[in-house]
This record gives sequence, structure tokens and C-alpha cells, in this order.
Amino acid sequence: MMRFIFSLAFLSTIGLPVSAQDMPLSQILIEGEGWELVSAGYKFTEGPAANEKGEVFFTDVPESKIYKIDLDGNVTLWAEETNATAGLMFGADGVLYGTSIGGGAIVKFSADGKMVPVADGISCNDLVVDGHGNIYFTDHTNGNVMHIPVGGKPKVVAQEITFPNGLILWNDQQSLVVSDMRGANLWNFRVETDGSLSFKQPYSTMELPVGSIESGADGMTTDKDGRIYVCTTKGIQVFDTTGRYCGVVSKPQRAFLSNIAFGGTELDTIYVTCSDKVYKRKLNTKGIRYAVEVQKP
Amino acid sequence: MKFKLSNLVTLAVAFVIISGSMNAAEPYKHGPDSMRQDGVPVGKVTKHQFKTSQLFPGTVRDYWIYVPAQYDKSKPAALMVFQDGGSYVNERGSFRTPIVFDNLIHQKKMPVTIGVFINPGVIPATQPGGRDRKNRSFEYDSLGDLYVRFLIEELLPVVEQDYNLTDDESQRAIGGISSGGICAWTAAWERPDYFSKVLSHVGSFTNIRGGHVYPALIRKTERKPIRAYLQEGRNDLDNLHGNWPLANLQMAAALKYQKYDYNFAFGEGGHNGIHGGVLMPESLTWLWREE
Repeated sequence: MMRFIFSLAFLSTIGLPVSAQDMPLSQILIEGEGWELVSAGYKFTEGPAANEKGEVFFTDVPESKIYKIDLDGNVTLWAEETNATAGLMFGADGVLYGTSIGGGAIVKFSADGKMVPVADGISCNDLVVDGHGNIYFTDHTNGNVMHIPVGGKPKVVAQEITFPNGLILWNDQQSLVVSDMRGANLWNFRVETDGSLSFKQPYSTMELPVGSIESGADGMTTDKDGRIYVCTTKGIQVFDTTGRYCGVVSKPQRAFLSNIAFGGTELDTIYVTCSDKVYKRKLNTKGIRYAVEVQKP
Repeated sequence: MKFKLSNLVTLAVAFVIISGSMNAAEPYKHGPDSMRQDGVPVGKVTKHQFKTSQLFPGTVRDYWIYVPAQYDKSKPAALMVFQDGGSYVNERGSFRTPIVFDNLIHQKKMPVTIGVFINPGVIPATQPGGRDRKNRSFEYDSLGDLYVRFLIEELLPVVEQDYNLTDDESQRAIGGISSGGICAWTAAWERPDYFSKVLSHVGSFTNIRGGHVYPALIRKTERKPIRAYLQEGRNDLDNLHGNWPLANLQMAAALKYQKYDYNFAFGEGGHNGIHGGVLMPESLTWLWREE
């Protein structure tokens, strides 16, 4: 805190407006720590999500299965017949929520892996659950972002995104970021107290493959310092707290990279779902848990 | 963490020592035109807030208007816009723009000019303790005409409600530091029919949001009617976005290649306004010269 105030005063006096701290990839990548294969042999993996212990759950969408990676790295089947559940996230209540693409439903799972609908009759892709229990999910079919208030029904809170795919909240849970798979932008919104979204802005522009206008953007996560990580065709693109591009982390293999989450006991390891395989990589930063971080009003 | 007054005093002392040594490391001292002079009429600075932007929805920002003592509402005044307005309007900072304007206008080295000093926008968080969405990088580092449209369509019309501003682009200038410097260039590059003069201090012609392409664009685009003064220092930043001295050297080389009316002041400084601030009288005199 002291250092922060000091640097602010210093910068303003020598005539440089206070600008955001640079966040080069070198701050988070560890020399010698590359991708490590966790598990292989799936049809299409998605939805990594860590529970309170740091165990990571992921889906094999076409197989309608959910697997669990325990803290020793063992992978076990955790749920079946999920009706093509893709995105996953744990809520502050410790419950695992998911997007059942096949069922057109937002679902939740009991501790023994039993699936219960939260909202159905919808079209969904990925979801994020905030510390209060609000659910936001993308509906790429209609180009919408939807909100389910606690105990309420889904409603449209943002429209006109070409292909809204991944989404994540800032650490304070007062801004939502949505990735556009068919475009170049990450769209930022302010989250209003009633859960609605306002002030849509293409706050960050992703790097595109040469000759393409599509980022291939999918799942997202954030770390304790507020970086935004988004899975794209080019790799995992990282953005700083003012929306500036920090760079791209290479994909573990030449295949579709769908989603990312921090996991492990220290929450310092990223787990990515990359088509038929799941990989992990230790970083010099940590993820956050909305459930813990949400103590604010 | 709780702060005691003694902590703040220690902080202030440490800070004066460090900033003093910083200044000593950079051999630049303000001249008389950056200081108040007897007999020179003093213009008036007023502070305002703008929060009705449609182009940057939800943003709130402060801005200041400087009106020289010589302003006569029956005659259109020249206009100069500054990004990071709070830094440029500060009479105790590096730039001291109102003082320099007063002196140069009095000496007829620049026209009677209204200064508009604009801070970048912020989209405030919904609730206390939340993180505001800071719009500085988005507004300043992005290429394209969004920011200059914000000026022309949204903010400057508000200024024009109270003041008689020129409709002659040769009498309009724009300046800024760092990202605000590339922003000034972008504004003129996109709308040379509106802004014809650019002042850039340690401009970020680097890949923060794609701005490193300007030297290449300048070389292959028919010359635009822009007069530019670029200040840069050999100890400026070298980071993930690029190398500032090299980027500015590339800008200067491209402007030279395309026979632009430009001036490149390449000094010893780092990423700050010390050198650019000391050069304010000289650079404004050069920019506003009649020829």
C-alpha cells in the first residue's frame, strides 16, 4: 500500500500520468515449467472447474461424462448421462453448476454426481457463477448473454455478440467479460446491483490468426492480479487490468483449445481442456475463488 | 494498513529526495517562459466534468478549460487539446501549460488559444470497493477515429457553447504524453481536416494496441497536412509493448521520408515529462509558428 501511494505521488509530480502496471508474460511463466499431460483419450473435453480443495472437474461433452482430477493427479469418472454438459463452475455454495447443451438447461450436480435442472428451455454454452449465486451464461445461438438471479428465471442481459462463448467476472464481480469466438473482441460490461449488464465495450482486442477475422475465443479465467486468460486459436491470450494485451501462451497441442481454470491445492496451476486431452501447467500466480472473494457488499 | 502522519512526512521527504535526484539525472531545467513573469496577463482555468458520452458509454471524466486574458468573444480563438489534462494543466508540474500559454500568447509567439485539458474516462464500479473500468488505454492506445470523434462530436461542442472557437484546422492542435502522445497523433491522422498540429511527449508508438504500425503506414500513405513535434528520450521504456526510443526514431524517420513538417527532440530522459515539460515553450513556438 505504502509503495503504491509512493509511486502514485512520484509519477504525478514528474509529469507522467499514472498508468497501469505492465504485466509481461515473464511475470507468470516459470522457466522450465511446460505443459504436462493429465489425461487423454476423450472425444471433446471442456469445462474445467476447481472445487474448494483444488480438485479439478472436466467434461467430455459428446460422451456426456464428467471426470474428476484428484490432488494426486488421478482421474476418475464422476458423473454420467449429463446430456452433453459442457461448461462447469462451482458456486459459493460448493455446488457444481453446468451448461447442458443437449438438454438446453442450466444444471447443478449433487455431491454424488446426480444432475438437477436449475433452468431449462434455453440455449447455452458456458457459464459463470458469482459469489452470491447469480448465474451468467452465454447463448451463442441467439448471440445473447443471460442472467439467472438467485431463485429467478433466465433473462437476456446482453445482445448482439456474434458468437458469445466464454465468460468470466472480474475479481470484484462487478464487471463481466465475454469472449466472441467469431470476432476479435472481449466485451466488457458493468454488472449492476440488480444483475443487469451495462456499458458494453470492446475493452480488449485479441490477436487473430493471419488472414482470419475469427479469434476462436472460448473459455476464460482470471487470476489474483486481475489478468484475464482466454483460450483462442492462437493459444491462451492474456490481458492486463486495463484491457491491454500481455501476450499469448502456446497451446499444449495443435488442436482446439476450449477452456481453462486454475486448480490444485495452491490454485497455482492452470488446467486446460484441449480436444481429446487435458493438460496442466504451473504458473507464478494464483487463481481466485469468487466464493471466498465475494465478502464485499 | 493504518497511516500515521509521521509516515506521510517520511514519505514526502523520501519523495522529494528521489524526485530531486531524478531531475539531476536529467539535465533539464525550466526556463523563464515556464515561470510566471511580471506584467504578463494571466488566463483563467476552470474545472468541469463530462459524463454524457455515447461513444464511451458510462465514462466519467474531469476536464479543464484555459481561457487566455486576451480572449475576445467576437474573435474565434485557436484551440489546443491535451490528453491527461490534469497533468498538463498543473502549474506546478512539468508542463505548466497555462503559464507557458500566458507567456507565449503575450509574446505573440502563439495565437490567442483556448486550451482544453481532458482526463481519460473511467467507468465507475457499481458498488463501493469495486474496481473501476479505467478507459485510458482503450481511448488513447486504440487506433481508429473513436477518440477524435468523441472530441469533435461530444466534448468540444460543449466547450463551444461558451466560447468562440476557430473553424480553421490550421488553428487547432492536440498534444499528450505517452499513450496520450500516440492518441494526439491518431486524432490528427484520422482527422487532419480538424487537427493539423501534434505535440507528442514520449509517445507510445509501440504495440500496446497496435500503434507500432504508424511508421509503416506513414511511409505508404500520401502525406497528410499534419505538423508534428515529437519529444523522446534515449532512456525511455523497453518492455513487452516495445522499445520507446526505437519506436520514436522510426516515427521520425518515416516523417522525414515523407517530407512531413516535423521536429524530433531526442534527449536523455526516461518515461516522464521532464524534458518535454522544459521544452514546452520551444515546442509550442515551433508548432504555432506562422509559415
